[in-house]
Amino acid sequence: MSDTDNTKRRIDRRRFLVHAGAAAGIAGLAGCTLELDDESADPDPSDDPAMPQFYEIEDKPDAVYLPTHREAMRMLEPVEAGEYTLAPMLSYPHPFWIISGNEIQEEVPEDGNGVHLMMTVWDTDTGIVLPVDSGAQLRVEKNGEQVGSPRTPWPMISQQMGFHFGDNVTLEEDGTHTAEVTLPPLDVRTTGELEGKYEETQTLSFEFEYDQEFREEVVAGVEYFDEDEWGELGALEPMDHGEHDHRDKEDHHHEDDDHEHGDDGHHHDEEDHEHGDDDDHHDHEHDADGEHDDHAHVPYSELPPAEEYPGTHLKPADGDEEATSGDAVFVTTLFEPGSRLVDGDEQYLLVSPRTPYNRVPLADMSLSASVDDGESVSLEQTIDDEFDLHYGGPLEDVESGDDVTVEIDSFPQVARHQGYDTAFLDMPPVELTVPEVDE
Amino acid sequence: MAVAVGGASAISACVDEQDDIDVPTGTDDDSLPERQHAWDGFLETDDDGNVQPPEHHVLVALSLEAKLDDGDGDSFDDARETVETSLRTLERAYEWSNDGLLFTIGYTPSYFDRFDGELPEAVDLPEPEPLTVSEDPAFDEFDAVIHLASDHADVVLRAEEALFGELEELNDEPVEDDLTGVFERLDDHRRTGFVGEGLPAEHTDVGGVPDSVPEDAPFFMGFRSGFRESQATEDRVTIEAGPFAGGTTQQLSSMGIQLEVWFEQENHTQRVMKTFSPEHAEKDLVGEVGEALGASSGLTDERIEATEADATNPGVVGHAQKAARARENGNPLLLRRDFNTVDGDSPGLHFLSLQRELTEFRAVRDAMTGADLDVQTLNNGIMGYIFVDRRGNYLVPPRSHRSLPPASPE
Repeated sequence: MSDTDNTKRRIDRRRFLVHAGAAAGIAGLAGCTLELDDESADPDPSDDPAMPQFYEIEDKPDAVYLPTHREAMRMLEPVEAGEYTLAPMLSYPHPFWIISGNEIQEEVPEDGNGVHLMMTVWDTDTGIVLPVDSGAQLRVEKNGEQVGSPRTPWPMISQQMGFHFGDNVTLEEDGTHTAEVTLPPLDVRTTGELEGKYEETQTLSFEFEYDQEFREEVVAGVEYFDEDEWGELGALEPMDHGEHDHRDKEDHHHEDDDHEHGDDGHHHDEEDHEHGDDDDHHDHEHDADGEHDDHAHVPYSELPPAEEYPGTHLKPADGDEEATSGDAVFVTTLFEPGSRLVDGDEQYLLVSPRTPYNRVPLADMSLSASVDDGESVSLEQTIDDEFDLHYGGPLEDVESGDDVTVEIDSFPQVARHQGYDTAFLDMPPVELTVPEVDE
Repeated sequence: MAVAVGGASAISACVDEQDDIDVPTGTDDDSLPERQHAWDGFLETDDDGNVQPPEHHVLVALSLEAKLDDGDGDSFDDARETVETSLRTLERAYEWSNDGLLFTIGYTPSYFDRFDGELPEAVDLPEPEPLTVSEDPAFDEFDAVIHLASDHADVVLRAEEALFGELEELNDEPVEDDLTGVFERLDDHRRTGFVGEGLPAEHTDVGGVPDSVPEDAPFFMGFRSGFRESQATEDRVTIEAGPFAGGTTQQLSSMGIQLEVWFEQENHTQRVMKTFSPEHAEKDLVGEVGEALGASSGLTDERIEATEADATNPGVVGHAQKAARARENGNPLLLRRDFNTVDGDSPGLHFLSLQRELTEFRAVRDAMTGADLDVQTLNNGIMGYIFVDRRGNYLVPPRSHRSLPPASPE
């Protein structure tokens, strides 16, 4: 990204109600900001040894930014049921932001009792991460006794994890816990090889240990960045799940001087990530070096780069390289009449909003499109084996030179980890034009 | 005190309290209403005219022990008389009011299966079933449930004990007969609860009930409910034709509630949006616990009609707004008599509703589920916060047929 782009991304989010955390602990945590002048990379441990220090960033941009730290987590063995594979990951309870309509609220854990439980769910056959909410349910037990009430984990995005389901789950006692996850039928349009899938409720369960060793491991594994990088435009690279298993004897993590966050040239679709953009972006074998064969690979919810989408790519009306709104990148293409994504011989407008840098799909939005200020057509959230998550709908008689406006009726109703909390909120319409078709 | 713990120990714990209160006695004549569910006229109302439900509740699950020797139920005559005598004992002992005791007995489809005849056409009583794709409840397949309700927890408990032969006197009235031998009490399915200002906040010692439950809230989720204009009248839920005219159907869904996320992650604005509607939040119509709403949930036709549009923009819909889509000419179909619980040492709700036909419950539930709405689960009213474990459907016959009715009485 060039510096000149930065100003464009500064958008006024004051229109939205951003509340201060209500939890009693937040004032103390926020206060840490003041004491951080020279030792940001090695802060004093907080009073609660089960939680690392959380730092507030002042003057966060209204865009994707680099967080203060890279999370550490424990990966558990993926489990399978029906068409799904689910990979559980555990970290310490940590702040995130929940979204209800235009209302944003930071969740701040009161203490370190428990875990931040994350689950990536993917289609076993294709490796496509299913980045949509379907009302998953999570129940935790210990010794056959229910721990807390059942819950619906938040659909959530993070720079490291991409799309996942997660929540801070309070645990009072150490020991072996069993988590049971119920995935009801997926209430979203599926196309291509995914059509007709995910119609049965599936239940998956896994066990995890919660103990002092776990707490020390995930807290010690946190990697803080230099304070002057905090809040800079950019994003952490998608995590290579195989490398972050702190149960491994050797911890490569701390020796990794090559900070992977992409504030220096890794931007959007222009440059391939070191492990990703092969022909088959859903390839299970991203982990090409083979060092971590002992660990199942967890796919990252990364959308294909723009150039892999067929059809006529709509151009931003303002002449920019790519269409953006609220710092999200909008890949928008118009398929030839009669494509497999329409019933008749209409054209198909495919809109694929994604995060910059990591191309994480932005799920649970409401989008509509209009041509030359005509009637607005709502676009349906869809998952396709080839085009992954997108919003699409049939259009007729759209021609070169037409103006297409994509309205964002609601921004992504997914919870956010640090670094995504100020982006994808204020999202003005995306103005596009249909270019002359290159022959 | 509460009714969660039954049995002798609970009763002895109540005795002291019993000395302190003077519970009005009831009547032995037939002046009591023909409708078992005629409660509203015997309950108090608040300043806004909203009926205040009794504070303490027990649902006693029953399995029939008496054996049927014939298909039309005549062989039940002795057992029937035992049931009627036992219920009349309760009526003699306590005034029919929130200060005394209100109760109903309802029967499941499983109960009626033993008879030769079919239920009359006017009775719509299907077997319970899952009503959303994400629930997998167990069903009440036992025979009957007695719903005991009073503002005095000890009245509810004593009534239950009297029904099962554990008391010789009830509020100074002799207990002449009881249900033992006719019904077996199913302790695993016994359910208890409470509703009323301040009662939920008394349970923050229970795991899963955060300290942040508002002091004044009558329900766990933090808001008033049962507004006059959101409740069906007793007339509207009463069966009008056939031998069970004057009865009603009762739907009972027992569910866990996730309160930690609700109170400690969501903020008040979000809770208002999801409980009522986004516009309730925007216009600040609710107040802290719903006190600003008066006698209605503030659902104008416009707010109800806006449900689908709200799902699109801003992307969140309210529970009340959604459910109200099932109203008939603006009139609610259900009379809610739900109450909270900490059964199983976990917060929950026993959602008890009365309606003329179970089909009407289904319509309201479908509207509340909002499967037709394109909205994220956790923004779909309170759908992300409730977890239905059990469901049962019941016929609550009119008083004249309340004791072991056959499927098609004369």
